[in-house]
Amino acid sequence: MDGHICGPGCTHGVTKENEGEIKEEFHTARRSFLRDAMVMGGSAMSIGALGVSMSPAAFAQSAQPGGGMTRHFYIPAHANTVLWGYFSKSAKPVVEVDSGDYVTIETLTHHANDDAERMVKGDAGAESVFYWDKQKKNVNRRGAGPMDAKVGAGGGEGVHVCTGPVFIKGAEPGDILEVRIIDVVPRPSGNPAYKGKSFGSNAAANWGFHYGDTLTEPKKREVITIYEVDATGERNWARALYNYRWTPQTDPFGIVHPTIDYPGVPVDHKTITKNENVLRNIRIPVRPHFGTMGVAPAEAEFVTSIPPNYTGGNIDNWRIGKGATLYYPVAVKGAMFSVGDPHASQGDSELCGTAIECSLTGTFQLILHKKNSLPGTPLADLQYPLLETQDEWLLHGFSYANYLAELGPKAQSEIYSKSSVDKALRDAYHKMRHFLMTTQGLSEDEAISLMSIAVDFGITQVVDGNWGVHAVVKKSIFPARGT
Amino acid sequence: MILNDIRRFSTSAYPEELRQSAWSEVLARLLLANEPAPRGQPALNGHLSGHISACSSAFDSVFAQLASSPQVLLPLADGAHGHARGKHAGTVLVLALQAGHGTLTDTQQADASPVGIHAGDIMLLDPAQAWRIELHTDFRAMLVKLESASFVLRLVRTGAQELNRISTRVGVGAVCLGLIQSVADELAYIGRDELPPIEATLIELLVTCLSHRSQDAQERAEPEDTNPDTTSVQLAHLRRVCRTLESRLGDAELQIDDIARLEGLSTRYIQKLFKAGATSFTEYLKSRRLERCRLDLGNPALAHFSISELCYRWGFSDAANFSRAFSARFGQSPKAYRAAPPKDIEEQLRRGRPAQTAGPVAPPVDRSAPAGDDTRRQFQNLLSDHARYAIALALSPKRATPTSHDAQHPHHPPTDEHQPPPGHYYLPVSAKTVHWGYFSRSIKPVLTVHSGDIVTIETLTQHATDDCERMIAGDPGAESVFHWTADKKAVDRRGAGPMDASIYGRGAGEGFGVHICTGPVYVQGAEPGDVLEVRILDIQPRPSRHPEHEGRLYGSNAAAWWGFQYNDLLTEPKKREVITVYEIHHGHAHPHAKAVYNYRWTPQTDPFGIRHDTIDYPGVPVDHATIDKQFGVLEKAVVPVRPHFGVLAVAPREKGMVDSIPPSYFGGNLDNWRATKGARLFLPVAVDGALFSVGDPHASQGDAEACGTAIECSLTGVFQLVLHKKAALADSFLSELDYPFLDTPDEWVLQGLSYPDYLAELGPHAQTQVYKKSSLEAAMRDAFHKARHFLMKAHQLSEDEAISLISVAVDFGITQVVDGNLGVHAVIRKAVFPDHSGELTPGAG
Repeated sequence: MDGHICGPGCTHGVTKENEGEIKEEFHTARRSFLRDAMVMGGSAMSIGALGVSMSPAAFAQSAQPGGGMTRHFYIPAHANTVLWGYFSKSAKPVVEVDSGDYVTIETLTHHANDDAERMVKGDAGAESVFYWDKQKKNVNRRGAGPMDAKVGAGGGEGVHVCTGPVFIKGAEPGDILEVRIIDVVPRPSGNPAYKGKSFGSNAAANWGFHYGDTLTEPKKREVITIYEVDATGERNWARALYNYRWTPQTDPFGIVHPTIDYPGVPVDHKTITKNENVLRNIRIPVRPHFGTMGVAPAEAEFVTSIPPNYTGGNIDNWRIGKGATLYYPVAVKGAMFSVGDPHASQGDSELCGTAIECSLTGTFQLILHKKNSLPGTPLADLQYPLLETQDEWLLHGFSYANYLAELGPKAQSEIYSKSSVDKALRDAYHKMRHFLMTTQGLSEDEAISLMSIAVDFGITQVVDGNWGVHAVVKKSIFPARGT
Repeated sequence: MILNDIRRFSTSAYPEELRQSAWSEVLARLLLANEPAPRGQPALNGHLSGHISACSSAFDSVFAQLASSPQVLLPLADGAHGHARGKHAGTVLVLALQAGHGTLTDTQQADASPVGIHAGDIMLLDPAQAWRIELHTDFRAMLVKLESASFVLRLVRTGAQELNRISTRVGVGAVCLGLIQSVADELAYIGRDELPPIEATLIELLVTCLSHRSQDAQERAEPEDTNPDTTSVQLAHLRRVCRTLESRLGDAELQIDDIARLEGLSTRYIQKLFKAGATSFTEYLKSRRLERCRLDLGNPALAHFSISELCYRWGFSDAANFSRAFSARFGQSPKAYRAAPPKDIEEQLRRGRPAQTAGPVAPPVDRSAPAGDDTRRQFQNLLSDHARYAIALALSPKRATPTSHDAQHPHHPPTDEHQPPPGHYYLPVSAKTVHWGYFSRSIKPVLTVHSGDIVTIETLTQHATDDCERMIAGDPGAESVFHWTADKKAVDRRGAGPMDASIYGRGAGEGFGVHICTGPVYVQGAEPGDVLEVRILDIQPRPSRHPEHEGRLYGSNAAAWWGFQYNDLLTEPKKREVITVYEIHHGHAHPHAKAVYNYRWTPQTDPFGIRHDTIDYPGVPVDHATIDKQFGVLEKAVVPVRPHFGVLAVAPREKGMVDSIPPSYFGGNLDNWRATKGARLFLPVAVDGALFSVGDPHASQGDAEACGTAIECSLTGVFQLVLHKKAALADSFLSELDYPFLDTPDEWVLQGLSYPDYLAELGPHAQTQVYKKSSLEAAMRDAFHKARHFLMKAHQLSEDEAISLISVAVDFGITQVVDGNLGVHAVIRKAVFPDHSGELTPGAG
């Protein structure tokens, strides 16, 4: 497969049958949120509009309907369809879509080279992105750092392979982009020896919470564990295959990486010792999701993909999977949506630094809510990413709600030394209070009482620079507006 | 290795077999070795238990707070740390014993006999000498490893004894102790760059203490033995001169005569002092000025000053001159230096004694110097040491030593008469079956049971007085407990504070602990080291007995001053407390709670006439004539219930009363809603009979318990108490259990706490300190340690396997942020281990 991006009328990657399936999924994964929004909005919406909102196309009604036909695009992962390790408001979009269009997007894990045999070999898309020999490196910039950085171009200041950006026509700062995750499927190994299987890698890395706080020697080791996932999706658990300790790796340009300090360095399996039979008889329930998903921030030209922010990005919440919907505040023209850092499973806190990093393909519907359609709806005044799942609403608190704005010109490095769980909880508390007051019409005292007795606060991650705490509120608490 | 890496260390993070080696490794960084205690009481469960919080300064000195079980401390032997002894020349250990007692022996002298040491003693120890400290009890101590404090050591050696104990009863010694104590209290908030002034102050204080000693020694000394004392007097003079000079550096006109006049010494004598240090007054002055300029040039905060302005500031009158002198000394122009990365400064500061290039330029050895090599070295050392600390001193704020306010803790429980209901396993709640707001090993049990017995226990919420009509009226048990009139209060003590309310005057016990705990229940045969399994078989509602509300169930949620929201409100008044009363619809297919009304707390006067402006004392009846009820609040919200008990505890091993609010190793106020019907809580037994109590019933709570309370609602629990004897636990996970462990039908929950054993770790003021020092970071760290311990011990995973599994499959959540000792839990789904029976007790499957 080359870098061809499919549009309407192209059957590449999308058949009639699965088009139908996708629509079907959509009916079942239907959200009630927007309908409520209209109820809230009261006079702004007619009863007729409520009726139509049951059909997929009508979800996009607050946006320009794009000629009445939704289209379906397919973006393969390829050297020319990814940004590696950064968001950029001025990157060239790989595709321009209308509000309401569907996009199927292939994403690759940046840890695929921990076992290239299983995760890169024979996979044209992965081979294109990871291609790197003495002379040529297909994706040279990896991170938002300088191109002449010692560890490699981009400095590894940002590590995630993000497919995109997707330009949403008509999107402007102040609008809200709704992203519905219609489907998420694992990416099968391209190597015929591993047919029907998918693989992922978990790195207990130097940025992990455990690093330097281990019982056994050496205290500062990095350990990779390779997991196997069923590519057909029938088996809902993953298992470990083997692990190995990271050894200094020399990349094709001759730079030695004593630790995992640059993404996509191919691990030479001759230099490592594999321990088979690890985590025997243990089943990791899968929770396929995208760790990094969001729109481009306005504050800087190149923004590292690691710390999450008000525009989303590397939130690393496993609830961002199939059936979930995210609402992002648009910060730049066209929104510039991109997605990457696919995970087969992760626990709240992502303690050792990574999840089961495993390439996935997602199908999304992108819906634009114009600023002037927001007043009176729950999306009015939304200045942070909001996650809606089948049963819950989630708000993401970060140590710094907008670290780029709060920490100034050196924000992208300072954020790593300033985060704390305590601050992230404070932000989650503020956001949940705001959410309950604005979307549920509660007074402050009502919101506070409810937060103490019915809202669960969990630790999203403590490894992404801008640490995260999420607040979860069940929709069933508000039966008047729930499904 | 830098101790700073491990700002906090606790052996509880390690499995038993690794504790000794981990502890030794950490002690080695403090230049200490240890041996097991030769005598004295064994630690809890016979385990070694040790906690260290440490902070290292920019000069590599280390301030460490130790709390540990009995043991022997020795200087680290040569080679054990891989360093020659010379490496630590100049290091002094200052040990201030805060609790516990033992002996100190100077093993340098063959016939030395042990000297008793007690809490309040400060000892100065030379790590290069041989000595032995035997601690016979659990102890707490502040250990300060002072780098390059060789002049202190010299004073130590010129003193009468090798082992220097400083009298801390009165005077400077007492200030010294106060300083060390306050550093210990604030350790978590002091950064490495903030320590140097404290370090410098401490050294100055120690020097002062020791000068008293050497003067005493001098007075006693024989007349012919004057030579060494002459030297020490000269050193003292030189120190004074340096101090004065340091304060006058900015005076461009400063001359040696000025110093001589200020210090009342002759110019010639001062010249002689500097000569003894192989330098001269002018040379030293210049080097100090250059050093100050260098620091300023590297300080980003001064970037707006020009180089000339900075050099004028330090007494250079000519910029070109300064530039030449600077380049000659540091091998770099001031401008180039300023452009260099500022971390160099820290490097220079850390490296300790200035390196050759930066040190005072040594003139050729002058044979006419007043003394030999040794003496000259002493003078030189003094000059360089002084230079080092001078900066810190100049920046040092004048710091008052806080006086600690120690609450009186009477050690007797309320005089409860009790009649153990023979063969009867129903424990009703009444004034006679509860202890309110505290735990204690000395509370008389209200019931004795055997392992396996089932006990139904009634509990009351301490918030019932928020709406007496709905939650108390007509209920004999509640009326008995809450009874309070102008002349009688059925349960007087509420909290672990003084009975005479001498601290805040809130009431007996001061509300230092608020939960009404029913119990304790004595479990036959339970001994420290055993594990008590509490199976929660059922939870039943306690309906209202008031005619108008008969059969209905109510609870109260207080958004209180200890809540996370209190100082962070949007609307006025900014510091309000709000009570929301909920009704629980429990007979429903989906039991749920709905708000009935809310009201703002108004000052309430209790029956004894004390006014409570905030919710500062539990069980104060709210006079509904003073409040303004808002009905129709949270009209559309339907809260699913999660009935559970916030407090499930065994008695702590510590003597005296323990505040019921902060959770700890013995369980207590865990406030985790997963402790619900069907769950089993395992608690490490700390005293004979275990002494199980339960209270703080909740109808529902969210993770974090943000506003301070849950839906506080009286409930009755049915518990089965199963005792696991230590011997029967063999080598299982439970045999090492020294924290509460929750087992639910589908999950294992490891409860991390900011301080897993705060009473042991934080010392005598633990019950105050824990409220100040907790953080979610620390709780997260503890939850990680416990999850790792569980996976390694109960599931035989290697550490690497455990860490990978934790990252990909274990969920960490915030339990509560309002109970002083903050909690983070790790949830491990049993489905991850399809082959595991789910049972952890040996032989159980």
